[in-house]
Amino acid sequence: MISPLFDVRDVTLRFGGVVSLNKVNLHQSRGEILAIIGPNGAGKTSLFNSLTGVYAPQEGAIVFTNSRGKAISIIGKKPFRVSAAGVARTFQASRMFNAMTTFENVKIGAESHRGLGVVGAMFKGPGTRRDEHRSDIRTKELLEFVGLTQQANAIASTLNYGARRRLEIARGLATAPDVLLLDEPAAGTNPTEKLELVELIRKVRDEMGVSILLIEHDMKLVMSLAERLYVLNFGSVIAEGTPAEIRSNPSVIEAYLGSVDTGVAQEARDA
Amino acid sequence: MKDLWQNPRVKRIGAIMLIAVLVTVMTGPEGNGAEPTAGFTGSFAAQASFFGIFTVQRWIVFSLLTLIVVGAIALAKFVHRSWNDRAHRGGSDASAMSTRTPLRRRLDMKSSRYVFYVIVLVLAIFLPHVITDNSWQTQIVQQILVYILLAIGLNVVTGFAGLLDLGFVAFYAIGAYTTAWVTGALPTPPPFHMQFNTFFAIPFAIALAMLCGVLIGLPTLRLRGDYLAIVTLGFGEIIYLFANNLFGITGGATGTREIPFLSIHLGSLKYLWGLNPVPYYYLTLGFVVLFLIIFSSLEHSRVGRAWVAIREDEIAAESLGINPLKYKVMAFAIGAASAGFAGVITASQTLFVTPPTFTLQFSINILVLVIFGGMGSIIGVVLGGLFIQIFVVYLEHSPPSGYNSQDLYMYLGALLVVMMIFRPAGLFPSRRRRREIDQIEAGTAPDAVLTDVGPHNRVQEEMS
Amino acid sequence: MSYFSSHFTTLGHEFWGLLVGGIANGIIYAMVAIGYTMVYGVLRLINFAHSEIFMSGAFASFFLMKVLVGNSTPNAFESVVYLIVGILAGGIVGAVMAVGLERVAYRPLRRRHAPKLAYLISAIGASYFIYNFVGKEFGRINLSIDSPFINNTVFTIFGAAVQTYYIVIFVVGLIMLVSLERLVATSKLGRGIRAVAQDAETASLMGVNIDRTIAVTFMLGGFLGGVAGFLYSIPIGVVYTMGFTPALKAFSAAVLGGIGNLRGAVLGGLLLGIVESFSVAFVNGAYIDVVAFAVLVLVLMFRPTGILGERLGRSA
Repeated sequence: MISPLFDVRDVTLRFGGVVSLNKVNLHQSRGEILAIIGPNGAGKTSLFNSLTGVYAPQEGAIVFTNSRGKAISIIGKKPFRVSAAGVARTFQASRMFNAMTTFENVKIGAESHRGLGVVGAMFKGPGTRRDEHRSDIRTKELLEFVGLTQQANAIASTLNYGARRRLEIARGLATAPDVLLLDEPAAGTNPTEKLELVELIRKVRDEMGVSILLIEHDMKLVMSLAERLYVLNFGSVIAEGTPAEIRSNPSVIEAYLGSVDTGVAQEARDA
Repeated sequence: MKDLWQNPRVKRIGAIMLIAVLVTVMTGPEGNGAEPTAGFTGSFAAQASFFGIFTVQRWIVFSLLTLIVVGAIALAKFVHRSWNDRAHRGGSDASAMSTRTPLRRRLDMKSSRYVFYVIVLVLAIFLPHVITDNSWQTQIVQQILVYILLAIGLNVVTGFAGLLDLGFVAFYAIGAYTTAWVTGALPTPPPFHMQFNTFFAIPFAIALAMLCGVLIGLPTLRLRGDYLAIVTLGFGEIIYLFANNLFGITGGATGTREIPFLSIHLGSLKYLWGLNPVPYYYLTLGFVVLFLIIFSSLEHSRVGRAWVAIREDEIAAESLGINPLKYKVMAFAIGAASAGFAGVITASQTLFVTPPTFTLQFSINILVLVIFGGMGSIIGVVLGGLFIQIFVVYLEHSPPSGYNSQDLYMYLGALLVVMMIFRPAGLFPSRRRRREIDQIEAGTAPDAVLTDVGPHNRVQEEMS
Repeated sequence: MSYFSSHFTTLGHEFWGLLVGGIANGIIYAMVAIGYTMVYGVLRLINFAHSEIFMSGAFASFFLMKVLVGNSTPNAFESVVYLIVGILAGGIVGAVMAVGLERVAYRPLRRRHAPKLAYLISAIGASYFIYNFVGKEFGRINLSIDSPFINNTVFTIFGAAVQTYYIVIFVVGLIMLVSLERLVATSKLGRGIRAVAQDAETASLMGVNIDRTIAVTFMLGGFLGGVAGFLYSIPIGVVYTMGFTPALKAFSAAVLGGIGNLRGAVLGGLLLGIVESFSVAFVNGAYIDVVAFAVLVLVLMFRPTGILGERLGRSA
């Protein structure tokens, strides 16, 4: 049996007395586009933060198996180690390095896993030059891949929403991950950008072989993109299945109807 | 009445008058504890000449001067704005600019910058032939070049990594005392009981300063970066206490024995840097240039970019695989090492090392150089350092009436506050830093007080 | 072995004396630590210039005592009056300084959402300016205070003399600390402070005036800091650099107790005072200031949230 990419077992995360995640189980296969949906405050971002080492859940296990078949336990690992293991992510409110150019933003991702190399950096040794050159090439490739070559020298804060999302994706891909976690990638984008984004995400999986795990509120986008979904509510998984299964699952509909944004539930059925 | 105070114009005039009064007192005569009002009455009653035009009470002179300065600033702003307007309207100019490729423009900037560097370097090389007075030359080495060397080092910590190090002087002291130790000028015997050539002090000093930097930096930076300032503050004081009290090791308050000058004995190649300050001038200048080159390539390397990333958004940087702790400790250690190195130069040139050199005031002085020129901008730091230290040396040589050498720190303290209020990026900011500060202040970047305290950060603190 | 046993013997002889002195010092540290902890609570900042608030309070009461006490020997009634005047002078000047500081060195930065580094630099600059300014105007030598009371031994515990000075510190310190804790815990003002400490944005949405709350926080911390300056200066007098060391220790105390936590500041202050007092038996007098620093670094290494934890906003 091929071990899954992510194997999340009975993960419980608490803040003081508040239970943010309650015995969450989740599996993602290699190459899969998986989505997590649920009302606001359901614990989606908490789950992401647990998967990337930002939070350390008190109970349960998160095992990540990278492409070389090495199993890594995530809980208790610092975010930069999780990144080194092959997990990349984007953030809900995009967090770019605003004062840097698009190119520099991506380059930081491309070179972050190399050793310190302070002495080389001080004296510009041949090894450092070679590394710089390699990172430059990789950065250029990635910018072309996401379609930001034109804006390579633009300051990141001047980019529009769609471009920011693509920049974040490129930056994540630059770390050469096995899986890319996208936290509401479509938030704030217009319909055209949304379509481009769906294209891009598919392309990331198909051409780069990077699995995708995403959180998204836009039901149309999720239903057309994801191959399988998990539904979270009050920190627990209430349903799991293909888009068709989820659409007809009564507990999902109830969860959405019970929550404030009933429009989403409507959309869920319509989509 | 209340409306009057709310009026922004009234407020501004009030603030201006307050500043004038403050400046009057700051530059006035010294007071004393027996007559607590003497300083104030002296400041206001005494008369001063207004550029030789007329003579009147000092406070009036200062009010006039302040008004002139404020007026000049307003005028400059107005001119600047109308310039900008014209530039916007004259669209042809702007389009002409943009037709040049960015690469071309960058090349132009680069080459003109190199020309500027070469000119400055040539001027610096000829300086000892222009200023031939020995005491001035000594001042230039000890008060300007060494300070700039230190400022370039502190810039790595504060400018590049965004950490506030208030105990920088401690590492400078460690460097100086290590030199004394290695050359056998301390009561405690030198390493391996042999006296080394003074040049051998350099690796020892750098290693020891770096080690102390890591020992102090690690526990502090591991969790609470914002505590670094106060921990280094305490560390500076403790190194001073040790220097002053450990008679058997450091020589205590009387200081060290004589430290030999730097010298080279390699077969037939012999050279001694002696009492003449000029050879020290060239040596220190050489090291300043070397440090400039090293730190500037560091800034534009992977390491420099990682520092910017951490400064801007630590969480995002960490998600990309950057270990913030490692890079912060590294910046701190590099800063410490450069201070240790500067300590070697100073110790060998001044012959003796005594504790009073290593007070907090020294750290603050260096910090002012970094802030004034522009944190993170190496050229800014050098220019700012030159500007301030020339002013300091001038004040020392020909102090105006009522000036006490301790007053300097009052001015430097005020300068820090004024800089933070009006020009936090410094006079000659690096472009990136300027953008960064603009963005933080526009609220697009996450690192701002009162906005970065969301539950996310707090939870993370609790978790780790 | 003999080193320790001999030191423990001295410790045994002087145990109660050291304890009383330690608690007295600890109360002063606690009063200063509260200023750090409250500002940290609402702004997440170390107020570097707090040392100068302490110093200013001491100077204000010093000049008043000089006029009031003169060369006379005060009787009991006069002593009480002088003390109250001294406390008010120290506290009010401390509070005014603190509010002024916030106004000049912090608020302009807050207005434009300056990065944290800018606040720290601005604060250290302000601290530097204030104490050198005081040095210029009032001389740079130690000025001894005219004691507002006769420092008799009031009673003895287990052979340790408890002087009037200690009684004054205990009484004044307790009154101040308890009333502050009540104020923050129960009043509307205190609720505002706690709300801002918990979540400034939400608090401002709920109608809490952030600027005013922050000013009040500085004012309360400044009052206590100024009074502490007065109490501290009674036996040793004032000098423009006097704020530095006690403030550094008080900050260590705040971190030891758990910064942002009012009770933590008091507990940390007392503990630090006592530890420092007893360390006299083991550490050369010249290095006594190192003890507090060592405590700070050890706390950061092993329990960075302090003894009671950082109950930001939930304090008191």
